[in-house]
Amino acid sequence: MAKVYNWQLGREMDYRFPEAHPQWQFAAVFNINRCIACQTCTMACKSTWTFSRGQEFMWWNNVETKPYGGYPHHWDVKLLQLLEEANPGGQVWNGAQQGDRQPYGIYQGQTIFEAAAEAGNETALGYLPTEQEWTAPNLYEDTAKGPQGARNKLHSEGTRLPEHNTWFFYLQRICNHCTYPGCVAACPRNAIYKRPEDGIVLIDQERCRGYRKCVEQCPYKKSMYRPNMRVSEKCVGCYPRVEGSDPLTKGIPMEARCMATCVGKIRMQGLVRIEDGDWAEDASNPLYYLVRKERVALPLYPQFGTEPNIYYIPPRWVPRPYLRQMFGPGVDEAIDRYTNPSRELQAVLQLFRASQKIIFRYEIEEGEKVLDTEINGRPFQMYNDTVIGFDKEGNEAVRLSLEEPFHVRSEQYQNSI
Amino acid sequence: MGGGELRITAGWTVAGIIALALIVSVGLTLSDMRLASSQTITLVAKRSEVEVPLDDPFARVWNRANPVEAPLSAQNITPPKGGGDRTITARALHDGERLYILMEWDDDSEDLLVSRQAEFSDAAAVQFPVAPGENVPAFCMGDPTSPVNIWQWKAAWQADMEQGFVDVQDAYPDMQVDLYPFEEEAEFYPARAVGNVFAQDDRTTAVDNLLAGSFGTLTQAPDQVVQGTGVWRDGSWRLVFARDLNVGEDYSQFAEEESTNIAFAVWDGARGERDGIKSVSQFLTLEVSPDVAEPGGGVTVWIIVVVVLGAVALTLVLALYGRQRQNG
Repeated sequence: MAKVYNWQLGREMDYRFPEAHPQWQFAAVFNINRCIACQTCTMACKSTWTFSRGQEFMWWNNVETKPYGGYPHHWDVKLLQLLEEANPGGQVWNGAQQGDRQPYGIYQGQTIFEAAAEAGNETALGYLPTEQEWTAPNLYEDTAKGPQGARNKLHSEGTRLPEHNTWFFYLQRICNHCTYPGCVAACPRNAIYKRPEDGIVLIDQERCRGYRKCVEQCPYKKSMYRPNMRVSEKCVGCYPRVEGSDPLTKGIPMEARCMATCVGKIRMQGLVRIEDGDWAEDASNPLYYLVRKERVALPLYPQFGTEPNIYYIPPRWVPRPYLRQMFGPGVDEAIDRYTNPSRELQAVLQLFRASQKIIFRYEIEEGEKVLDTEINGRPFQMYNDTVIGFDKEGNEAVRLSLEEPFHVRSEQYQNSI
Repeated sequence: MGGGELRITAGWTVAGIIALALIVSVGLTLSDMRLASSQTITLVAKRSEVEVPLDDPFARVWNRANPVEAPLSAQNITPPKGGGDRTITARALHDGERLYILMEWDDDSEDLLVSRQAEFSDAAAVQFPVAPGENVPAFCMGDPTSPVNIWQWKAAWQADMEQGFVDVQDAYPDMQVDLYPFEEEAEFYPARAVGNVFAQDDRTTAVDNLLAGSFGTLTQAPDQVVQGTGVWRDGSWRLVFARDLNVGEDYSQFAEEESTNIAFAVWDGARGERDGIKSVSQFLTLEVSPDVAEPGGGVTVWIIVVVVLGAVALTLVLALYGRQRQNG
């Protein structure tokens, strides 16, 4: 085991391989607040990558309803329980000690790698889901959490903010293309690798021998066994699109299919530049801004220790203890900033799903003040700023103003179609 | 001391023990039975003048080969660790052109399929140094300067050959799918398209020929030159491997009157064993002998019976003789 630095945990941790980082890292922000669970992302992925024989149960992208849903069933509850059994009561954070390289404080519990180290039989803590657990991928869809101890009841005051008493939310999941992937560490064949150019994690289809150690030890359960190929497959991050080899954009990097098809405009995916093992400071990159500067988007189960690279703007109505368990101690700050957004954040949120091209940089042109009011008891102003997104080549890819332009049809064309 | 008591002098006792040891050792040598620890066990492949069938590990010809027992234990050096203590019985023969290795081990269930998510196949493997000699590689997957050649048999591959490739509709006969787009296009079966032998639906052998030079380096060899058949019967597997003695220097070398090393591994699919989760032996010596393997299945047993009876008889004679001398 080597020592590696995990900035999401604010500390060094044990990992099978020494630290090595790609030049760029595939990353995305998912705004849970906006998702309507239409599953367009799910079907975009399915119809691109997993429509063939042997992939019937495979959903590299899925949207599940929390707290009860999960694909495979209860994947997160099961892993949390394994961690708890390995280190009872120890999965706690010291959120007070924050800094640039430890934005959420310091995790004092055990990661999946550390929890497995004592027994030494496996590289990471995990389990192999049963056949049944892979079925019914949207089980518990729209099933709400009601009052404690009362079956089939909704809370009488279910929907009062800041925390709803009757609640559910949608969790959108793909492979996290982790910085320290559980699957890479688990593979005894060294058949899984992280691409140096974009950090996308791939299973070498020639070297894989179908042992399913990656299925067992990916905490997010995004490696899947294809029975008629006798090997495992996983989300490929739509790497041809990210490379820019899709003919549509003539060499310009594009977002993955699940991102580019998002109807609710909840997703923004891109590449962040890595320097000295950490995100290079680049506040004009919208992902850097959202994750590292504004800190409005958080990693999913950072305590697992894989440093996942999909970041979530947490749902603002959900009880905080649940969210803190899922996204770490940054939850309160993230929700506060999202519900009282700064002028810049309001502009950057417009960039979601505005173009298929990956936005590497943005600029804001200031506009007139259009709203001066009070939200959640605090003063709130809105300006009709224009945000401009630029592609890899520095060319303008998208331009949006906060106020949607309003066009009035002239009298002459009132009934035209 | 009463005159009727049996008394033997110290000198006669020593003589008796020496004679007994001599008889036992001569008997064991004749029967090729080895009693040492696993590192010094020798598996002798004698020349068979009778055909060794590739598809029948229970063939009578195997009665001509002397069995050795090899202890296996859990692989506990590198994760994933697992397996356990078991014993395999090994035999070997050759016919001047091919080397045959027979393995036999207990297994409660016959696990043939890998079609479901948590389903694993029974499997077994033998391992040899690529280059025989004094520099014996590490018995765990070899080392970079001294690679190993591994032959791995899997029950699932054999099932694919015997029953036809087990696809999803065989594992899930009630499944319904409206349409598989581009079903005939190879790129949608990536492992098969890039030539991963696991994904092929037209296997010609149930045994993979592999090379390794340390943990994590196991790689399919370009030449699939090993054949094999396993049969599960009454709670145990019997498996025969066969390969031409000469297949070039890239793989393990065998020749009459020469020795190399052999190690064994067994996986129990029902226990989720695969990869490093296996029971392994250390290296044994494998000797390819020019001697002809003689018929007579029970020869070994008979030699042992004769040796033991002889030893008992001799002890009694010596004891009686000693008593007579005392009395005389």
